[in-house]
Amino acid sequence: MIIIVCVDDNMGMMFNRRRQSQDRVLREHILEDTKDSKLWMNHYSAKQFSENNAPQINVDDNFMSEAGDGEYCFVEDCDITPYLRWVEKVILYRWNRRYPADQTFSVDLAEGGWKLVHTEDFAGSSHDKITEEIYTR
Amino acid sequence: MKKSIRALLPLFLAIGLLLSACSAGNTYSLDSIPDYSGSPYVTVNDNQPYFSDSNLTTTSFESYSNLDSPGRCGVAYACVSTDTMPTEERGSIGQIKPTGWHTVKYDCIDGKYLYNRCHLIGYQLTAENANEKNLITGTRYLNVDGMLPFENMVADYIKETDNHVLYRVTPIFDGDNLVASGVLMEAKSVEDKGEGICFCIFCYNVQPGVNIDYATGESTLAESSTAGESN
Repeated sequence: MIIIVCVDDNMGMMFNRRRQSQDRVLREHILEDTKDSKLWMNHYSAKQFSENNAPQINVDDNFMSEAGDGEYCFVEDCDITPYLRWVEKVILYRWNRRYPADQTFSVDLAEGGWKLVHTEDFAGSSHDKITEEIYTR
Repeated sequence: MKKSIRALLPLFLAIGLLLSACSAGNTYSLDSIPDYSGSPYVTVNDNQPYFSDSNLTTTSFESYSNLDSPGRCGVAYACVSTDTMPTEERGSIGQIKPTGWHTVKYDCIDGKYLYNRCHLIGYQLTAENANEKNLITGTRYLNVDGMLPFENMVADYIKETDNHVLYRVTPIFDGDNLVASGVLMEAKSVEDKGEGICFCIFCYNVQPGVNIDYATGESTLAESSTAGESN
């Protein structure tokens, strides 16, 4: 599976059971990149995409158990550690901002054989610069 | 810090009553705020702000308390939206000298200066520049590591959704101290009833490596710190 995750400068994801941030342009970017595959997420994340007509979205609260090879998982409030052995790629979106966090992305991409293979900056709807980083094993 | 927080109890309780309305049904005691132990903030009241549903409004407003007799700030309260956010470059605030203000530098601090003129409600939320009712003497650590991430989260939420956020910052002074021990920050998004933004936290007005006399704002390098004071 391919993990998609958004993080702040300290690899934070959530605070007080709420996502740190969101961005309309980023959602469109994700949907464009995943249009030829399946994009899995849980009900919490699906609400964020409710205004997007995206047939590739599959909603299941146990989505990381359901996703197959080459399929995407949009992860906001879950720990991917139990599924790490099945993760073939990580697409990291950096907000380039500091937010409070009580849940962080648990994978150390500097270790475990991960390689940064792609970096791209783009402007979001409410973020000056979002950085996309793609890591493969 | 714990001793000083305990000494603050009457003030906390008064604030609790003031915010009351607020706490209907909640019995949280601010006495349980722990000593500073490495995190720039702690959650308060299970991270639920002391607003009541009747406080939630989609009418933007800003309210800043008058300074008290020593010249200290009080509660800053706003319903923040794109209406209140800045439309022009930030102006100068250097002419304001909040209570306890000292211009002092330490090598162990990023940017050197111990104190910032610290907005209670951040400039990016209400565009207040040299408003003496909105500026306290705060450490760089309070400003950058404590308060700024919360301000960022609220500002970006509003920019993205065009929603309103009820937002209140209360500086907590121990007795007659001129420098606040910290600030209570509360926020709740209005249109989605807190689904997007909801927090209640206490940020410590401390600076690792530096001892602060909160009565006066005087400071010294902590014994354990290796970097000295700058000239």
